Amino acid sequence: MAILKARKVKKVYGRKLTAQEVLKGIDIEVNEGEFVGIMGPSGSGKTTLLNVLCSIDHATEGVIEIDGNDLRKMKEKELSRFRREQLGFIFQDYNLLDTLTVKENILLPLSISKVSKAEAESRFNTLTDLLDIRELANKYPNEISGGQKQRTSAARALISNPSIVFGDEPTGALDSKSATVLLENLVTINEKRRVTIMMVTHDPVAASFCSRVLFLKDGQLYTELYKGDKNRKTFFQEIMNTQGVLGGDGYDA
Amino acid sequence: MTLSQLVLRSLKKNITHYYLYFFALIFSVTLYFSFVTLQFNPSVSDMTEGSTTGAAGFKAASAMLLFIVTFFVIYANHLFMKRRSKEIGLYQLIGMSKTTVVRLLSLENILLWVGATTIGVGIGFLTSRVFAMILLKLISKEALVEISFSSQAFVQTMVVFLALLVLITVQTIFVIRRSTLLDLFLASKKGDTRVKRIGPFQMLLGLVGVILISFGYYKSTHLFDLDSDSVTLNLLIIKMITILASTIIGTFFVFRFSVSFIMNVIRKGKKGHLSLNDVLALTPIMHRMKGNAKSLTLITIMTAIALAIMSLSYISYYSAGSSAKQFVPFDIISLNGQNKMFEEHLKKQNINYEKYEFSLLKVDIDTSGLLEKPLADSIKENMVLGSIVTRLSDMQKIHPKVTLKEGEAYLVGNSGMLAELLPLEVGKSMTVHTKEDKTKLTMVGLEKEWIISSQLTYGSPAVIVTDKFFDKLVTDTKIKKNSIWYKQEGYSFEENDLKKAQEIYEKTTNGGTFTTKDAKGKERKFFASTQEGKKNDSLELWGNVIFATGFLGLAFLLATGSILYFKQMSDAEDERESYTVLRKIGFTKSEIMKGIYIKQAFNFGVPLLIGLLHSYFAVKSGWMLFGSELTTPLIVTMSIYALLYSVFAWLSVMYYRKVVNESL
Repeated sequence: MAILKARKVKKVYGRKLTAQEVLKGIDIEVNEGEFVGIMGPSGSGKTTLLNVLCSIDHATEGVIEIDGNDLRKMKEKELSRFRREQLGFIFQDYNLLDTLTVKENILLPLSISKVSKAEAESRFNTLTDLLDIRELANKYPNEISGGQKQRTSAARALISNPSIVFGDEPTGALDSKSATVLLENLVTINEKRRVTIMMVTHDPVAASFCSRVLFLKDGQLYTELYKGDKNRKTFFQEIMNTQGVLGGDGYDA
Repeated sequence: MTLSQLVLRSLKKNITHYYLYFFALIFSVTLYFSFVTLQFNPSVSDMTEGSTTGAAGFKAASAMLLFIVTFFVIYANHLFMKRRSKEIGLYQLIGMSKTTVVRLLSLENILLWVGATTIGVGIGFLTSRVFAMILLKLISKEALVEISFSSQAFVQTMVVFLALLVLITVQTIFVIRRSTLLDLFLASKKGDTRVKRIGPFQMLLGLVGVILISFGYYKSTHLFDLDSDSVTLNLLIIKMITILASTIIGTFFVFRFSVSFIMNVIRKGKKGHLSLNDVLALTPIMHRMKGNAKSLTLITIMTAIALAIMSLSYISYYSAGSSAKQFVPFDIISLNGQNKMFEEHLKKQNINYEKYEFSLLKVDIDTSGLLEKPLADSIKENMVLGSIVTRLSDMQKIHPKVTLKEGEAYLVGNSGMLAELLPLEVGKSMTVHTKEDKTKLTMVGLEKEWIISSQLTYGSPAVIVTDKFFDKLVTDTKIKKNSIWYKQEGYSFEENDLKKAQEIYEKTTNGGTFTTKDAKGKERKFFASTQEGKKNDSLELWGNVIFATGFLGLAFLLATGSILYFKQMSDAEDERESYTVLRKIGFTKSEIMKGIYIKQAFNFGVPLLIGLLHSYFAVKSGWMLFGSELTTPLIVTMSIYALLYSVFAWLSVMYYRKVVNESL
């Protein structure tokens, strides 16, 4: 079942003369339980696409539906509520609040929801066990490592049991070891909890953890690769090859 | 690109940063120039010349104003530099020498100052008219003030602000010389030291803060207690310094430790399940407290000082009427029957009046027994004072219900300074010393209102005794000899006759002068006045003072308010990222704003609240030296101050709203 549907999504920045079309009509469909990666050279519009899909930015044209909700028909307040309850986010620079402890950061999305304390506590315990950050609960972000920060951020994204999680270069600021740990965690979550994940990345290694990878070029969908039953190494090779075809230049790696 | 081009471009580009600094400057110039204009205005100085206090008040006020302005400008420049530290760092990174950067900044400063002083002088000239009108209204004089552009004031303002510009430049040079590149890039992060756990020692210090403030408050309510053997001025000053020190240090500790401590307890209790309001208000306040404690303390103390000064002078102003009633309990009084001419003239002009006569005696009475709290023995000996005694039957003309048995007495005029400092208690007794013996009288009643001029009683209440006892006292030769003022006549008039009667009084009694001879045959004079005359005198005196202090209060208010506002602006900028996160995660603007309201209520409310409390206790400890009414003037002053102050809170909320709106 398609959890996210996007039809002819266009995004134009600027007006009239200075107008620049960043997304030139993109169609995407993501099924429940998929782990989708978006790749492309810098300037291809991957982050813009993600922002538009996750309702942080408005599409200039086109229809976006998440779980049957048409984003264009929702008002700003409804969108906020929708994001809080249905979507999870993991950003490159963690976006944790420095003044809150790890636990407080993770529970933040529930702070005005009707989820009971006991329920919140149990979700917190499950997630932190899964991500191996349980014992950091009372630490502040400046006391933990980048990888731990990003796992905290992942826990925060998952605490509200979202229907889809968006990641904007979640491994971008991590060393390769922390990145692998995080990605393995994401795969586990994707497989065990059937959480749909969509992430933008420029790193072929990170992309090789996905079940499907979309390639963007100049604001248009260029091609897509399915992992299928292939192992990660083969999939990685395929991704590298596609990247080569796409043009080796302009990668912001 | 030349340096001047760079300056102009950066001025244009940085206008959002500059406008704050620019307005701060304009406001300082405006305030200073309009005040100095008034000071040099001939019609105003004519008015204030009559009373030396007025002129001195103006001088003191302008010195104080200069101090506030200096402080304020330095603070604003400091904040401004901090906000631009990255830019300054960048200039150096691309290879500009420190000297060039200083030149660049000085050039900018000069441009800004020229603009600000020009605009400030312009506005100041206009506002000085408004201030002049307020001043006239206050001293209830109806005169037209011609405010002309005073070149003297202009020159003084220019000199002062030129000196300040030099000071600011020195500050700039100093900061840039001292700072390394790394410092500059990190400067905007300084101050709000992040996240430290709160240890038991800090908790203890937090408690100490509360105790220190309470101690200061307690001491202030006992400032004038005559509890020790030696009440000297030195002791009083030591007491005052103790109170000040303990409240100021206490305030700092409260901000630095107690607040974080209390918040930490609340937070710990939530076990990680914070509400959005906690996230937006509680935690940022807690974490910024270390950096903010100093400025919050400063703001609190400044608020307290401003409020105390304004309240006290307003109390004096407000009490003019009741103080006049103490001095002249009736519309008009005369003494020793020196009123023949006055009454004849009144009759000629067909003016009706009611006349009350009081026979007076000056008797040695030991009133120390009446005190609520007994005095130390050493002071007691000096408490046998000449008190003014009058008859019950004279008093009954005004208060017909008062009755006395033998051995009883009644006191009238128990209000004002003495009544506050040495409270009396009904039911206790006093001892009347006559030549032959001592008689005990029980005090059965206390009346606040005055019927005998406080000038005669030296501020203490007059004693009413039975006619029989009074007649007995009259026979005492020593008392007879001492009682040089043996009679007071009080007149009251119909409202519309009052003016005429006052004119007649002025003419027929030589402006209210009465004479008598003391025991040694030396002539003594008594300067009465009409009640209204007395009132106008003090209005004129205190009107000047209240104007000057009001002006200072305004300066204090604007300075503290702006400092808080500036501080909140940079706090808001620092937290912009958090708002971005919150909005991305899915919190609405209005939900975030709700938390910010709470935060701002705290940031502005707590210094105001503690400042109000401080000033309340400060005023309470010494208000009786200034006037006879406490509640109304205090409430009025505090409400106006709080109202104006909240404008800044509102401004800061508006700024936060802007930041939140822009954050996604």
